[in-house]
Amino acid sequence: MNDTLHLLKLLAPESILLDTSLLILVLGLIPATATKRNLLLCITLLGGLLAGAWLFFVPENANLFHGMVVLDPLTRLVKVAVLVLSLITAVFAVGSNVREHFGEYLALILFSTIGMMLLAGTEDLLMIFIALEMTSIPLYVLTGYLKRSSASAEAALKYFLIGGVSAAFLLFGLSLIYGVTGSTSLHDLGGMSRDAALDPLLLAGVVMAMVGFGFKVAAVPFHLWAPDVYEGAPTSTAALIASGSKVAGFLILAKLLTFGFAAADGNAGWAQMLPGWLPLLAILATASVVVGNLAALSQSNVKRILAYSAIAQSGYMLIGLTAAGKNGVSSVVFYVIVYALTTLGAFGVVSLVEQRRGGSQLHHFQGLHKSAPGLAFCMGVFMISLAGIPPLAGFIGKFYLFASALGSASSNGNLPLLWIIVLAVAFNAVSLYYYLIVLKHIFVIPSSVESAAPEPRSATSTLVGLLALAVFVLGLYPSLLLEPISSAYTSAVKFSIKSGSAMR
Amino acid sequence: MPTEFLLTATFLSAFLGVALILMLPVRFGAAAKWIALLSALTGFGFAIAAFRGYDMSPGAAPIQSVINFPWVEKLGIGFVTGADGISLVMLLLTGIIAITGILFSWNVTQQPRAFFALFLTIIGGVYGVFQSLDLFLLFVFYEIVIIPKYFLISNWGSTNREYGAMKLTIYSVAGSALVLLALLGVYVVNPDVSFDLMRLAYFKFPLGFQLWAFPVMFLGFAILAGIWPFHTWAPTGHVAAPTAVSMLLAGVVMKLGSYSALRVAMVLFPAGLDYWRMPIAILATVGIVWGALVALAQRDLKFVVGYSSINHMGFVLLGLVTLNTIGLSGAVLQMFSHGIIGGLLFAVVGRMIYDRTHTREISLLGKMGLAKAMPFVAFTFTVASVASMGLPGFSGFIAEISILLGAWKAFPVLLIFSALGVVVTVAFTLRALQRSFFPALTGSPELPGADAEHPHDFEPISLPERLGALLLMAATLGIGLFPNILLDPILRSFESPHSIMHRLIQEVAK
Amino acid sequence: MSYDYLLLTVFLAIAVIFPLIPLALAWLWARTFSPAKPGKDKQASYECGIESTGTAQIQFQSHYYLYALVFLVFDVETVFLLPFADMGFFRIPVAGFLALMFFLLLLLESLVWAWAKGILEWK
Repeated sequence: MNDTLHLLKLLAPESILLDTSLLILVLGLIPATATKRNLLLCITLLGGLLAGAWLFFVPENANLFHGMVVLDPLTRLVKVAVLVLSLITAVFAVGSNVREHFGEYLALILFSTIGMMLLAGTEDLLMIFIALEMTSIPLYVLTGYLKRSSASAEAALKYFLIGGVSAAFLLFGLSLIYGVTGSTSLHDLGGMSRDAALDPLLLAGVVMAMVGFGFKVAAVPFHLWAPDVYEGAPTSTAALIASGSKVAGFLILAKLLTFGFAAADGNAGWAQMLPGWLPLLAILATASVVVGNLAALSQSNVKRILAYSAIAQSGYMLIGLTAAGKNGVSSVVFYVIVYALTTLGAFGVVSLVEQRRGGSQLHHFQGLHKSAPGLAFCMGVFMISLAGIPPLAGFIGKFYLFASALGSASSNGNLPLLWIIVLAVAFNAVSLYYYLIVLKHIFVIPSSVESAAPEPRSATSTLVGLLALAVFVLGLYPSLLLEPISSAYTSAVKFSIKSGSAMR
Repeated sequence: MPTEFLLTATFLSAFLGVALILMLPVRFGAAAKWIALLSALTGFGFAIAAFRGYDMSPGAAPIQSVINFPWVEKLGIGFVTGADGISLVMLLLTGIIAITGILFSWNVTQQPRAFFALFLTIIGGVYGVFQSLDLFLLFVFYEIVIIPKYFLISNWGSTNREYGAMKLTIYSVAGSALVLLALLGVYVVNPDVSFDLMRLAYFKFPLGFQLWAFPVMFLGFAILAGIWPFHTWAPTGHVAAPTAVSMLLAGVVMKLGSYSALRVAMVLFPAGLDYWRMPIAILATVGIVWGALVALAQRDLKFVVGYSSINHMGFVLLGLVTLNTIGLSGAVLQMFSHGIIGGLLFAVVGRMIYDRTHTREISLLGKMGLAKAMPFVAFTFTVASVASMGLPGFSGFIAEISILLGAWKAFPVLLIFSALGVVVTVAFTLRALQRSFFPALTGSPELPGADAEHPHDFEPISLPERLGALLLMAATLGIGLFPNILLDPILRSFESPHSIMHRLIQEVAK
Repeated sequence: MSYDYLLLTVFLAIAVIFPLIPLALAWLWARTFSPAKPGKDKQASYECGIESTGTAQIQFQSHYYLYALVFLVFDVETVFLLPFADMGFFRIPVAGFLALMFFLLLLLESLVWAWAKGILEWK
C-alpha cells in the first residue's frame, strides 16, 4: 500500500492529467452548447495547472524500477515546459476549426502530453519506446482530425505510416542493444567500456535507434512527413507536434546519446572521424540544416515554411547535441524550449489568419499590419527570433548551441568541428530570406482584399502576445531560463550519482 | 552626471523614443516626428556631454566611463561599455546624422510612427555599437540595425525598393554570419569564458587560428563598410532607400563596419592582420579607383553619390591597414567626415532635389535651370561637392591627406593608384555638379509639369531642410578649419601607451 | 563452434521445400498433360450450385472495424478480470480491490462513451 501510494505521489502529475482527460471524455458527451468548448478548456487548464503546481511544489527526486521512472530537477523542468506548451495548444484549439468531437480532441492532446512527460522522465530503453508511442499515436489521430479535409487524411496517413516504420526501426535497434549488453537501463549502458562499444551489432542498434529518433525530430532524411503533416493537420495539432513532442524528444535523445551511448560516441572532427554516433549526428544535423533551409526558400504556404524551418531548427539542435556533456544538454534544452515558444506563437498567428482569411498561403497574410497590427508585430518577433537575429531569444539559443558544439572538441586553437558550424552559420544566414518573405507579405505588400472590421481580441491572440513578450524578454535576459536549466542539470547529476541513474 | 551614464543615456534615449512613438495612437501620427527629434536631440546632447567629459590629461586611461556588469553569467557575456576618443567621435557623428536625418524626413506622411520608430531603433543600435567593449554586446547592437533597414527601404523607398532592400539585408546578414563564425572561434579558443575586449586584446591567439579568423572577421565587417568586390549592395540599397535612410546608411551604418573592423578584428588578431594587410590594401585601393570610375559613368544623380560612398570608404579601409598613427587617425577622421558629407549629399539629392523634381536623371535635371530655381540647393550641393572632393578647409581634406601620407609610408605603390582615384573623384563630382545645376542652358528651363500658361516654381525649401543642411555644412567646415577638436581625442587613442589601439602600431608595423 | 543455427536452417529449408514439391509436381503435370480449355462455367466461383450474379466485390462496411476495436478492448478487460473472478476475490487486499474497481469504472466509462457516440448502433 505504501509503495503504491508513493508511486502515485511521484507520478501524480501524469495521473492528474489522466484523470482530467477522462473527465473531459465524459463531459464531452453533453450536447453542444455555446459554452461547452470553454468549459472543457477550463477543466483542461485546471488539471494542467494542478499537475504543474505539483511538479513545482513537490520536489522529490526518485529513481524507480532501475531507471524506468526518474524524477530529478531537469526532468521536472522539462515536464513543466511540455505541460505549458500543451496547455497553450489546447487554448489554440478552442478557437480553431475543429468543430466535431471536441472533447476527444482535448483528451487526445492530454494523452500525448502524458506520453511526453513520461518520455522526459525515463532512462530505460523499453520505457522510452512505450512513452514514444504514447506520444505519437494520439498525434497521428490528431493529425487526421478534420474528417472532411483530404489534406488532413493524407497527412495523417503519411505520418502514421512513416511513424510506424520508424518505431519499428527504433524497437529493433533497442532490442539489438539489449541483446548485446543484456540490460535496458541507460545506467548500465553507460558503464560499457569502449572496447565493448565497438561491437558491430551494438553500433547497428545505435544507428537504428537514431533512425527512430531522427523521425521524431524531423531530421533529414527522415523528414518527409513534416511538410505535409504541418500543412494538412489542424493548426493546433501542428503546433503541438512542433513544440511539445520536440522538447521531450530532444531531452531523451540527449540523455540517450550523452549518457547511455557515451562509450560509442566516435569522433566527428574534420580529419579525424571515428565510427560512433557523433559522425552520424553531425551528418544528420548538417543535412537537416542544408535541406531544411534550401527547401523553405520556394514555399508559398506559411505552414510549410514553418515545417521546413522546423527541420532546419532540428538540425541546429542536433549540432548542439554533438557537444555532449553539460553544455550540450543545457544548450539543447534551452534552445528547444525557446524554439517551442516561438513556433507556438507563429502557429497561433497562422491559426488566426486561417480563421479570418480562409487559408494560410502567403497572400492571405498580405495587409495584416493594417488589419491586425499587434498580430503582425508578434509575427515579426517570431520570425526574427527564428532567424537568429539579436536581441531575441533565438539568437542566444543558437549562439549557445554553436559555441557548445565548437568548444567541445577544440584544443589549443584546433577546431575540428568547425565544418559543421560553418555550414550552420551560412545556412542560418540563408534562412533569413524566407522569414523576411513572410514579413514582407505581412508588412510591405498591400492587401488586395477589402479588410474587414478590426479583429476582435481572443484568447489565442492574447496568448500570442504573451509568447512574443516571452521571446523578447528571454532575448534580453536569457539567464531567466539558462540559470534554472544549468542548476537543474547540476542537481540532477548529483542526485544521479547518489541514486544510480545514468547522468554524469 | 557621471560619464558612464551619459554613454548609456545615448542609446536609451533612442529606445525610449521608440517606445513613446509606438504608444502614440494613430491619430497623432504627426507627433511622431517631434518625439523623434526630441529623442535625437537629447541623444546628441548626451554624446556632446560625454565628449566634453573626456579626460585628456596624460595620466588618464585611454578608455573611460567603463560600465561592467554581468549580463549572461553562464556564457561569460557582460554588459561592458566605455568610450575612448574614437568612440566619442563616432557618437558625435551619430548624433548629428540622427538630428539631420529626422529634419530631412519632416515631410514623411505615410505611416510616420512606424518610420520614426524604425529610424530611432537603428540610431539606438548604432550608438550601442560605438560604445560596446564586450564582443557579444557589440554583435547584438550590430545586428539590431539590420532588420529595421529592410522595412524602411521596402516600405518608404523609391527605385527598385523591394529588390534593393532584400539585397542589402542579405549582404548585411552574410557579413554578420562571417563575423559570428569568427566570434564563435574567439569564444571557444580563448581560455576564459569571456567576451571582454579588454581582456581578449592581450591574449595571443594561436597563429593558425588567426590566419583564418582575421580575414573572416575583417571581411564580415568590411562587407558592411563597402569593401570591393562585395560592395554592390550599397549603390542599389542607397538609391532604393528614402532620404533619411540613405543618410543613415552612408553616414553611420557603413561606419559600423569599419569601426568594428578596427576595434575588434584588428585588435584581436595582430598576427593575422600582418599577414593579410597587403590584400586588404589592394582591395581598398581597387575600391577607391573603381568607385570613382563607375561614378563617372552614372546617369542617375543618386547613383553617383552612392558610388562616391564606395570611393570614400575605400579611403577609410586603406587608412586602417596603413598601421601608422597618421594613417589610422586619418581613417577615423574620414569616417566622421564622410559621414557628414555623405549625409549632406544624400540629403540634397534625395530630399531637396528628388522630392521636388521627381527625377534624378542628370540630363533631365540639367534642363530645369535648377541653379536659378533653387539657389539654396545649388549652394548646398556645391559646398557638399567641394567637400567631397577634398578641398582644404573642409573635413575631407585633413582626413584624406592623412590617409595618403600614411599610405605613402606603408604602401607607396598603392598610393599612386589612390591618388589617381582622387583625381577621378574630382572629375565625377564636378561632372555631376556641373551637368545637373550649371549647364549651359539653351532655351527656357523645362520644369516638370510646367507649360507656357502655368509656369511654376518648386516648393520653397522648408525650415527643417535649411536647419539640417546648415548643421551638416557647419560640421564639415568646422572640423575642416579646427580638426584638432576631433583629432586630439583620436590621436590620444593611438598614441597613449596603455591603449589597445596603440598596440596595433607598435606590434605590427615594421 | 555451435551447429545449432545450422540445424535450424536446414530444418527451415526442408520445411519450406517439402510442401512445395507436390504442388510443383501437380503444376508440371497439368502443364504437360491437361488440355487448355477454359470455359465460362468452369471458371465461375462456387456458390452451392446456384448461378452467381453480380460481382464478387462488395463494399466492406467500415463499421465492422469499430466493432472489432470495441470488442478488443472489452475482451482484454475480460481477460484481466479472469484471475480476479476465479480465485482472487477473497484473497486480495483492500488496495487491490479498490484498484480493480477503479479499472472497472474506467471501462464502464468507456462503454458509456461508446454508447453515447453511437458506435454500438449499426450504421
